[in-house]
Amino acid sequence: YRDLHTFELQAPTRLIEWARGSRVCVAGYGQSDGNEILQLIPPPTLLTKETQGLCPERDFKVECGGFSKRPVYSLKYVPDTSLLVTSGPPDSSLQVWQVSAEDSDVIKFVSTIATENGTGQSWAKIATISARAPWVLHGSRLDRVEITEVESRKNVYTAASGGSEELSGLAFLDCNTLLLCCATGRLCLADVRQPQSLMEAVSVPSASRSEQWCMGTRHGAQGLEPSSQPVARLSSWGLLTLTDLRKTSESLASAKARVPSSGSGAEFLCVSWAPALEGCLAISGFDGTVHVYDTQSWDSSGKEAEPIFVHKGHAFGGAGGSGDPPLVTVHTWHLQKPKTLLSAASDGSLHVWDWVQPCGKC
Amino acid sequence: MPEIKVTPLGAGQDVGRSCILVSIAGKNVMLDCGMHMGYNDDRRFPDFSYITQNGRLTDFLDCVIISHFHLDHCGALPYFSEMVGYDGPIYMTHPTKAICPILLEDYRKITVDKKGETNFFTSQMIKDCMKKVVAVHLHQTVQVDEELEIKAYYAGHVLGAAMFQIKVGCESVVYTGDYNMTPDRHLGAAWIDKCRPDLLISESTYATTIRDSKRCRERDFLKKVHETVERGGKVLIPVFALGRAQELCILLETFWERMNLKAPIYFSTGLTEKANHYYKLFITWTNQKIRKTFVQRNMFEFKHIKAFDRAFADNPGPMVVFATPGMLHAGQSLQIFRKWAGNEKNMVIMPGYCVQGTVGHKILSGQRKLEMEGRQILEVKMQVEYMSFSAHADAKGIMQLIRQAEPRNVLLVHGEAKKMEFLKQKIEQEFHVSCYMPANGETTTILTNPCIPVDISLGLLKRETAIGPLPDAKKPKLMHGTLLMKDNSFRLVSPEQALKELGLAEHQLRFTCRVHIQDPRKEHETVLRVYNHLKGVLKDYSVQHLPDGSITVESILIQATAHSEDQGTKVLLVSWTYQDEELGSYLTSLLKKGLPQST
Repeated sequence: YRDLHTFELQAPTRLIEWARGSRVCVAGYGQSDGNEILQLIPPPTLLTKETQGLCPERDFKVECGGFSKRPVYSLKYVPDTSLLVTSGPPDSSLQVWQVSAEDSDVIKFVSTIATENGTGQSWAKIATISARAPWVLHGSRLDRVEITEVESRKNVYTAASGGSEELSGLAFLDCNTLLLCCATGRLCLADVRQPQSLMEAVSVPSASRSEQWCMGTRHGAQGLEPSSQPVARLSSWGLLTLTDLRKTSESLASAKARVPSSGSGAEFLCVSWAPALEGCLAISGFDGTVHVYDTQSWDSSGKEAEPIFVHKGHAFGGAGGSGDPPLVTVHTWHLQKPKTLLSAASDGSLHVWDWVQPCGKC
Repeated sequence: MPEIKVTPLGAGQDVGRSCILVSIAGKNVMLDCGMHMGYNDDRRFPDFSYITQNGRLTDFLDCVIISHFHLDHCGALPYFSEMVGYDGPIYMTHPTKAICPILLEDYRKITVDKKGETNFFTSQMIKDCMKKVVAVHLHQTVQVDEELEIKAYYAGHVLGAAMFQIKVGCESVVYTGDYNMTPDRHLGAAWIDKCRPDLLISESTYATTIRDSKRCRERDFLKKVHETVERGGKVLIPVFALGRAQELCILLETFWERMNLKAPIYFSTGLTEKANHYYKLFITWTNQKIRKTFVQRNMFEFKHIKAFDRAFADNPGPMVVFATPGMLHAGQSLQIFRKWAGNEKNMVIMPGYCVQGTVGHKILSGQRKLEMEGRQILEVKMQVEYMSFSAHADAKGIMQLIRQAEPRNVLLVHGEAKKMEFLKQKIEQEFHVSCYMPANGETTTILTNPCIPVDISLGLLKRETAIGPLPDAKKPKLMHGTLLMKDNSFRLVSPEQALKELGLAEHQLRFTCRVHIQDPRKEHETVLRVYNHLKGVLKDYSVQHLPDGSITVESILIQATAHSEDQGTKVLLVSWTYQDEELGSYLTSLLKKGLPQST
C-alpha cells in the first residue's frame, strides 16, 4: 500500500456515492427504522493528489445527515440539483431527499415516488441523469422499468416489457440510451425515444448455474462514445465477462476471478471500472476482500486471472473472532486519484486505500 | 415548576474556552474556567459580568468545578479568582490539582516573558488560587454545603479528567467536561452509572467526526519516525511532559522492541521526571492493563528510553528525543530544535496545539525562516509534521454516554449550532429527551419534575386505598392527607393524627351572615316566603321548614328575626360551616337579591 486509512461508521453501509465537492455519501441498511444517511467530507489528505503523512485533519466529517425509516439499499444524487433519491425494501418505491448543507445539517425527506407494487417485488435499482431535466431511472424488474421526473414525479418513459426477471442494475449510457442488467446476466438496451422497443444486447453467458450477475459500466473520459466502453459483468461464482456494446454477439474477454466459490450470495456483488486507469477494474462481495484486475491481458478463454492487488483490510478489522467475518458490501474508485479506492464492509468499517502495483508488473 | 438554568459563558457554540454557569435549586455553580487560546486580548477570558453586575462573585457562586488541566478549561482560573475576585471553594480531582499549576505557570511564562503582556496573572496569583482548591476522589460524594453535593466520575481523555455530578435534593446535573469513550494505551474509557440526572451537559466538538482509526495514526507516526531514523536523521518530539507523552513513549517502546531497533530514545529530564513521578503516584487513574502490569514491571520505566543529557544532542547518528516544553517556546526543546533545524534528514513532530507566538505555532503555519534572539535567522530545513492524538468522544461515544447515564434532558456545548442539528435530532429520536444547544451568553431553562419522597402513615394509606379504584403502578393516585415537615423528614398523615401529634384540637368554623329584607309582615310569614322561594329555586337541594321556624338548606341554617329598630325590615341570619362555604355564599347572594313579589 501507499496509504491506508481505516474508519468505523456507526452503522454499516452498502453504498458509497460521490457527490459534488468531493463529498461521499453512505447510508445504513439495518432492518429497524432510524437508518442514517450521512454526507461526509473526506479528510484533506484524501482530496489532494499528493499523500501527506501526518496531516492534522485525518477524519471524515459528517456534513449533514438524514433519518430514513426504511433500510437504504441504493442512493443516487440527482446531478445539478440539491436532491438525492434512495430506494430500499420493502417495496420498489423511491424516496426523494433535499440536501441544503449551508442552512442546516439535516437532509430532509421531500417526497415519495410511488410505483405499482406487484407481488414479489424487491427494491428498485436506480440511476439518475439531468440532461433534459432531472430524471431518475428505476425499476426492480425488467417489466417495471420507468423514468420519472424527480421534481414533478411525472412518469416520462416506461420501458417495454422484456420479461419479468429481477434487475441487478441499470444505467444511463447517454441521455437517450439505457442499459439494463438482469440478475440472470442478460443485458438489454433501450432508447428513451422509442419506448416500444427493447433491444436485447447480450444473452446469458454459458453455464448459468443459478448464478446471479451484476454489471459495471465505465464513465469514460470526455468525448468518448459511452457505448464504446466495455461493460463488465460479474457473477456470484466469480466469472467476469467484458462486452463491447457495439459488437454484442461475442464477448470481448472473460476470466475467472480467484474468489471463494461458495457463492455467499449475490447481495453485495460489486464490479467497477477505474475512472483513471485504462482497463482496470475492481470486484468485491465474496468475502472481506476487494480485488483489482488488469483486463488488458485477458482473452476469451475464461481462465483464471490473477489480481494485481488484493485489499484484505476488512478481514482483519475490529473485534477479533466474534461472529461472522465481515463481508465487503461495496467499493468505489476515487474520481481523481487513480489508484485510490474506498470500500465498506458489513462490520461498519470504511477503508480508503491507495495501492501500489507490486514490482515486476509495471 | 422548578427549573435548572444553564448559561455558557464560553463554549456555547465555539471551541475555545469552556465556562458554564448552572443554577440549580437556588445554588449557583461554575463549571470550568477556560482560556481561549486563539485570542490575545480580553476575548480570551470568559465574560464574567454575565454572572452578576454588582455584588461579589463569592456571594453568588456556591462553588467552582474544574474538569481537567487543559488550558481551555482552567486557563482563566487565576484571573478569575485573583483578579476578578472569588474566594469560595474550587473543586477538582487530585491529579488535576497537581498538574494545573504547572501548566498555568508555563503558560504565564510564555505570555508575559515572551510576548510581553502586562494584564495577566502572576506566579503568586497562581499559588493563591490553588490554595482555594479542594481536591476530590473519584466516586466520592462531597458536601459543598448542607444541600449541594458533587461527585466526580472517570472521564478518560487526560490524566485526572473527570465528569461531575452536581446534586441538590433530587435535582441533578452531570457535566462531562472533555471525555472519551474508547480506552487508549494509558487511560481507560469514561464511565458513569445510571444516575438519571435531570440534565446532561456534554461536549460535542467531535460529534460530527468519523475518526481515523487509532491504529492508522499510530502506524503513520511510527512510519515517519522509522523512516527518519533509518536514514540517520534525528526526531524531536516536543511534549508537555504530561498527557500524550506517556502514550507515545509506550508506543515507541513497544515498536522498538518488536522491530529490534537500536537507535536511542531519550526523554528529557527535569520536568519530565516529575511527570513520570506524578503518573506513578496516580496509577489508579490509568487503565486496567497498565495497572496490572505495574505490579510486575513498571510501565512507566522504559527499557529503550533513557534520560537525556544536553550533550547528547550533538551526538552523531539517529535518535529520538522527547523534550519539553511542548510548543517549542523555550527551554530544552527549543535548544535542541535550533541545533537540528538546519538538517533536512531530521524531523520534528508537533503533538498538539501551539499557542500563537510560539516557534511551534510558526513552523506549523509554514514559516521556514525564524527570527531568534539577537536577530539571528534560523532556517528550518528539517521536516515538520503535526499529529493529533487527542481523545474526544465522537457521535457514537456521546450516544453511549447518554445511554449509560439516562438523563432527562441533554445540552450540547462546544460545537456550531448549524452543525449540531443532526446530532440534536438523533439524540431526540433515539432517547426521547429534549436536546438544547445554547450560544454563549444565552440562558437555557430546563423544567424539572422532581420527585420528593414522603413517608405515609399506614393508617392513612389503608384508608385512602380503600376509596376509589385499586392501586395501579402505571397511574398516579391522588391522596389527601396532612404534610408534616420536621427536620429533614416529610410525613403524610391523616388530619386527626396530625392534630393529635401537634397537640391541637380540631376547630369548627362557622360563618354567619345577616341579610336584610324589606318585609313589613310578621316573621313567620317572612320565613314562609323565604321557604317557598328557596324551595322553588333550589330544586336539587333539600330545603326544609322546621317546626321551630327556621329553614335548613342541606346543613345551612336560616332564621328570621325582626330588625330591632325598623319593623319593616327583617333580618335573615344565614349560618353555615366552613365545609359548606360555597353553598353558603351562594345562598347569601341569592337572598340579597331580594324575594319575589308574588309570595
